[in-house]
Amino acid sequence: MKRRTREAIAGYIFALPIILTVLIFTIYPIFAAFYYSFTDYNPLNARNLETKINPQEALEFHLGVFQTDVSSVDEIKDYFDLLSFIKYDVGVNLDENKEKIVLENFDSEKLLKDFVEGKLNKEMKLSKFMSEYLKSGAKYFKRYIPNFLGLENFKKMLNDQYFRISLFNAFFYTVIVVPVQTFLALVLAVAANSKIKGVKFFKLTFFIPSITSSAAISMIFWMIYSKPGILNRFLGYFGFQPIAWLENPNTALPAIMIMNIWTTAGYFMVTFLAGLQDIPKSIYEAARIDGATPGKIFWKIILPLLKPQILFVATMGTIGCMQVFDQIYFLIKNMRNITISFYIYKNAFEYGNMGYASALSLVLFVIILSLTFIQRKLVKETY
Amino acid sequence: MKKAFLVILTILIVSMAFSVTTITISGWPGNPDEEAAIKAAVDEFNAKHSDIQINWEPIPGNYLETLKTRISAGTAPDIFYVDVYFFEELAGKNVLLPLDIFIKKDNFDLNAYFEPLVEAFKYNGRVYGIAKDFSTLALYYNKEIFDKYGVPYPTNEDTWFDLLDKALQLKRKGFETPLVLAADFNRVIPFILGAGGKLVDDNLNTALDMPASRFGIKFYIDMVTKYKVAVEPQQVGAGWIGEALGKEKVALAMTGPWTLGFLKGSYPDVYKKIGVVEMPSLIKKSTMVYTVSWSINRSTPYKNEAWEVLKYLVTRGQEIFVERAGVLASRKDIAAKDTDPIKTPFYKGAEYAHPWRVPTPTGIFSVANDQINSRLKDLFYGKITLDEALKQIKENYLDWVSGK
Repeated sequence: MKRRTREAIAGYIFALPIILTVLIFTIYPIFAAFYYSFTDYNPLNARNLETKINPQEALEFHLGVFQTDVSSVDEIKDYFDLLSFIKYDVGVNLDENKEKIVLENFDSEKLLKDFVEGKLNKEMKLSKFMSEYLKSGAKYFKRYIPNFLGLENFKKMLNDQYFRISLFNAFFYTVIVVPVQTFLALVLAVAANSKIKGVKFFKLTFFIPSITSSAAISMIFWMIYSKPGILNRFLGYFGFQPIAWLENPNTALPAIMIMNIWTTAGYFMVTFLAGLQDIPKSIYEAARIDGATPGKIFWKIILPLLKPQILFVATMGTIGCMQVFDQIYFLIKNMRNITISFYIYKNAFEYGNMGYASALSLVLFVIILSLTFIQRKLVKETY
Repeated sequence: MKKAFLVILTILIVSMAFSVTTITISGWPGNPDEEAAIKAAVDEFNAKHSDIQINWEPIPGNYLETLKTRISAGTAPDIFYVDVYFFEELAGKNVLLPLDIFIKKDNFDLNAYFEPLVEAFKYNGRVYGIAKDFSTLALYYNKEIFDKYGVPYPTNEDTWFDLLDKALQLKRKGFETPLVLAADFNRVIPFILGAGGKLVDDNLNTALDMPASRFGIKFYIDMVTKYKVAVEPQQVGAGWIGEALGKEKVALAMTGPWTLGFLKGSYPDVYKKIGVVEMPSLIKKSTMVYTVSWSINRSTPYKNEAWEVLKYLVTRGQEIFVERAGVLASRKDIAAKDTDPIKTPFYKGAEYAHPWRVPTPTGIFSVANDQINSRLKDLFYGKITLDEALKQIKENYLDWVSGK
């Protein structure tokens, strides 16, 4: 073997753990989700055909007699109901198509004959049982293959009220949060970059929320926003009536937006700070000598030179906002205020509609992709 | 010498591993009392059996989601809790083991359990689980608040209008938030059934728009919007009904026996002031029963052992559980021994209670439940009218329960 090939092989072996991790946990799920979005995949069906049964016991229970008491097929034939036997006693999940296959191809006679002869008293997998007694069509019972629905999942979205509501909420959330948090982060960064006293303290205070777990922050804000909470008490001094901010469908989402802006502004401030450090001091000096006011310096120097960071923050912010989940999960109890990723979660894990959830996430993926694309078109990357 | 010792040790461990069957049982973790009770029950079983050992492995948070995921991955526990609320969905998908064969072989007596609780875990005429305990709703009231404002206590014979009258009296006399209500469909069901209404018709379509059902829902909503005697727990800064009661923000609440344990633990002073009576009635008495079964995973390799464990859990295990955790027994003989007077209204409720399970063609009710709850919330906030809500429910109901 050539030295180079040997080296390449060794290299790949060293990189193998990460290659496998990426393949198994990133690449495969993406393709799987893409595939499932065209099917009616239900996780509860996944292990169905792997289950083991004892056909004799199932049949004994179905017929209500013990095998030892039966001497001929004729005695039991009339008590045998194929579909209910397969569905409930054997326990194969059948949809309409599969019911048809079973009705047409199942060899009941052979089964009953084997039962009388005592051949059934052994544990076997459902897939094996079906392949043994189906004259044809056994391939549909080998393992769980979800039905291919084509575009049906996507068509369903058009009439799904909560798809519209949750997508609208996610957009609304993004449209408000991204510009505000970007601008706020920028202002904070400029302030933190100036030479005032205690600047380290401010930097730290602004950054702490973004390293605190969102569950903890949600709890704190739950207390702030609750009806007897601080916010209402404060507003009470000005004569406002108390509102349950998170329960009222009109105020719940804005309340969460404010919380999120507060949380993430500090995080993005660090990005801007890094950008600010890159701006050469000589430019400020030149501007000041030319008599530029601080406002002018901000708009004409800082802003243009921070373009790449602004693009980065806006993109990451958009992605994060379109996918906002944890705060909604912790704080929102009303279906009117949910966002799309929470709705995906609900469909996948509560409603058992993994296929529909995959389709929803595919749509979300396309939306985020195109938003990012538009942003990149609007703000040209300079390097 | 060292080597020989190691070999013997290995053989010992291997042989032990082969002769003992470990049955993993799972549910959601309870409060500390419940955890201690279940551990005591498990320890007692393990001490008596050398061939079968139980391993209690609770699933914290998002129980159903985790369970479903583990079922689909083939790593679900051998025996687990099944709440009657999602029982139909699991039974319909054949992930639970029918117990009829075992019951027949062992002559296990199902009549020893309260009938509504046995019926609650039947699907297509097969038994898929045995109730581990149950909870019914009853009316809690804070005696101190009633005394302070000079309003008579609620009684077991009260009708809805007595409840409303007493709440209105409290309100008139200056107690602003007499009653706490949740915008939850299952809490409205006693009112629907109490007015003579039905949840579903014979074709399993919704019957919420029937005049009697509508009347029940209307009364529930009116207490919030029209008479303004009821608030949601969040309105008084509480996470749930029990907390509102514990913080003494409300004088009346309809909730289950779990609130007793909560108050005892977190608000012991308030617990002493609490009285409990049966739910108010209208045409007939009605309440909800929430129950959870022990069910066996259909794909467990140890069916017989699992059945032995399950049998223990619902007999002697339940006895320990009732003694130590204060839950209500689903077995009549254990219930008869349970003489705590504060539990009486809950046991009484079991006679006329409706299980928290809405039959649907596919066994899936969670979508419809969310949709109905969302409309209840809108009704609480006056965003839509009752007729609009019922119309929307009627129009979309079959879609919601289709499981697609």
